[in-house]
Amino acid sequence: MAPMNAMYIALSIPFSALRMPMVRAGSPPGSSGPASAPIWLLPSVLLAVCTAVAVALTPSMARAPVVTIGVLATVVVAVAGGEAARRGRVLDELRKQYAKRESVLLGHLAQQEAETVRMAKETLPTAMAQLQQGSRAEDVLRNVVHVSRVSPEFEAAYRAVLRYVLEAVEAEEDLRDSAQRAFVNIARRVQAIVHQQSQELREMEDKHGHDPEVFGDLLRLDHRTALVGRLADSIAVLGGARPGRQWQQTIPLFNVLRGAMSRIIDYQRVDLHSVAEVGILGRGVEPLIHALSELLDNATRYSPPQTRVHLTATEIQTGVAIEMEDAGIGLTDEARLRAERALAQDSPTGLDLDDLGESPRLGLAVVGRLARTNNFKVSFRSSAYGGVRVVLIVPPEMITATPVPGGAMAKAAVLPPPRRPGGPMRRVEGLAEEPVPAVSPRNANGLPQRRRRTRAVIPPLRQKSVASTPTESDTSVSAAPPPQAGLWLAAFQEGISGESRAESPAPRPHGLSDKESERN
Amino acid sequence: MSDSKPEKHRNWEEGGPERLYVLTSGRSAPSEAAPLDMVTLIVTRHRPTSSMQPEQAAILRICDYPLSIAEISAYVHLPVSVVTVLLADLLESGHAEARAPIPTASLPDVELLEAVMHGLQNL
Repeated sequence: MAPMNAMYIALSIPFSALRMPMVRAGSPPGSSGPASAPIWLLPSVLLAVCTAVAVALTPSMARAPVVTIGVLATVVVAVAGGEAARRGRVLDELRKQYAKRESVLLGHLAQQEAETVRMAKETLPTAMAQLQQGSRAEDVLRNVVHVSRVSPEFEAAYRAVLRYVLEAVEAEEDLRDSAQRAFVNIARRVQAIVHQQSQELREMEDKHGHDPEVFGDLLRLDHRTALVGRLADSIAVLGGARPGRQWQQTIPLFNVLRGAMSRIIDYQRVDLHSVAEVGILGRGVEPLIHALSELLDNATRYSPPQTRVHLTATEIQTGVAIEMEDAGIGLTDEARLRAERALAQDSPTGLDLDDLGESPRLGLAVVGRLARTNNFKVSFRSSAYGGVRVVLIVPPEMITATPVPGGAMAKAAVLPPPRRPGGPMRRVEGLAEEPVPAVSPRNANGLPQRRRRTRAVIPPLRQKSVASTPTESDTSVSAAPPPQAGLWLAAFQEGISGESRAESPAPRPHGLSDKESERN
Repeated sequence: MSDSKPEKHRNWEEGGPERLYVLTSGRSAPSEAAPLDMVTLIVTRHRPTSSMQPEQAAILRICDYPLSIAEISAYVHLPVSVVTVLLADLLESGHAEARAPIPTASLPDVELLEAVMHGLQNL
């Protein structure tokens, strides 16, 4: 009976153990459960087999306790095994959950990392670019809006960082803008004063032109004023404004080049050679003068003081090439690259305060800025003199026919036509060509013989001059001698003999109005 | 001509880009004491060359018959000192020639004036 029980129990254990795979069948696949089930069954089965063997071997008297103990032990072991199996199952569940959570967290982490990288590489640069183009921080933030799938908190923090950075940059930009505006503003005021002073100096130069000492002092003052003006122009240009004054009319290139020479310290060292006879349109005049003066300043500053700087301008296919050559030490390749880099340096934000420090950098930065805005092409080469040869090419759209053909002198237009009949010039000519002989032939009374020839020639010329220049008519007429000297002589005689002038008015030269007669 | 002249003049008065010291290379008077004054007459000896400064060329063009320095200064709208400096260079290079201001012979002498007076009294 007992062995039968033991056998039953022993046989029943595998059943209970066999249930586990059936339960597990509902669990997700991939667990290690089924493989471990037999391990947990093994002690119970072994114990059941041992109990059965012990029951069979023990005498019948001792069989009952053996069966009891064996069954108890088997049951205990089976229960323990079952519990272990259950816990193992729970553990599996948990591990799966953790694995899932871990993968989710890793995913988040990867996303966050990707977002951060994107912020650094895309979002921020785009935002900065938009900010520099003048958008407000709020708009930029809206434009570079960024849908994050990570979490609302992360997105909020992300936006906060972005906003903070943008606002900081914007504040910085504002500060720089206002500094730049202040610079330009001051430069404009200096320019206005310098311009005024230059005009006044020119007037003073005209006024004191006959006194070489005062005139020399005025020229020196004028020169220094021009230097101040160039500095103010440079600051205005670097601040993103236009240089100095605007020219309304076309200026011949020759005068433009001399204008550039006017603004450097060592203008006496510049030799102006052949200059193409073209005119520069008004809008291009000031930038060209300024760019050339900066280049000339560099050329004279960085070459020995006893050497000359040669300045020429020739027409080429693509405009006009203005060349300047100095006899300095020349440029090494590295220095040339540096100069060209300084020239090409593009800071769209305007004034770079670093540029204001050193002279060559300031000049080149100004030239670069002017070249970009006006399409000048500037290149540095080494010169045959050993120094530097700078070529500046003025684009054809800035060039026109020279307003004064054949002459590069702006005021050549106001030169008088050389041979205007009549007027003071003719008198001068008469004086010079026909000097009155020291001893005139005398007549019988001891009076000099009058020469009729000049009288016959001059009067018609005078009248012609009256007609051609009305402004001079008053003086010419009042000073004009009568066509027939004899009539005047008659009037004179009347005056001498005491006869009233009103009663017998002297005959007037033909063509004079009554008004003019009254004045006479 | 009388209309266009003041206009052009005004344009120049607005100021060309160059300043006067460039015209004279900074000199305010001729280097050596040249006997030039306001009434010295200047006359051209040679045609202007192409390498010449335009102001000098202009002076040579208008001085093909004698002009006083004051007149030249007025015509080219440049101060007398500038004209003097430019002329000194021209005189030195032989392109122009200076003449004595007024021929002394043209001034009537005392004898002549007395003769005129006597003639008038005799009338």
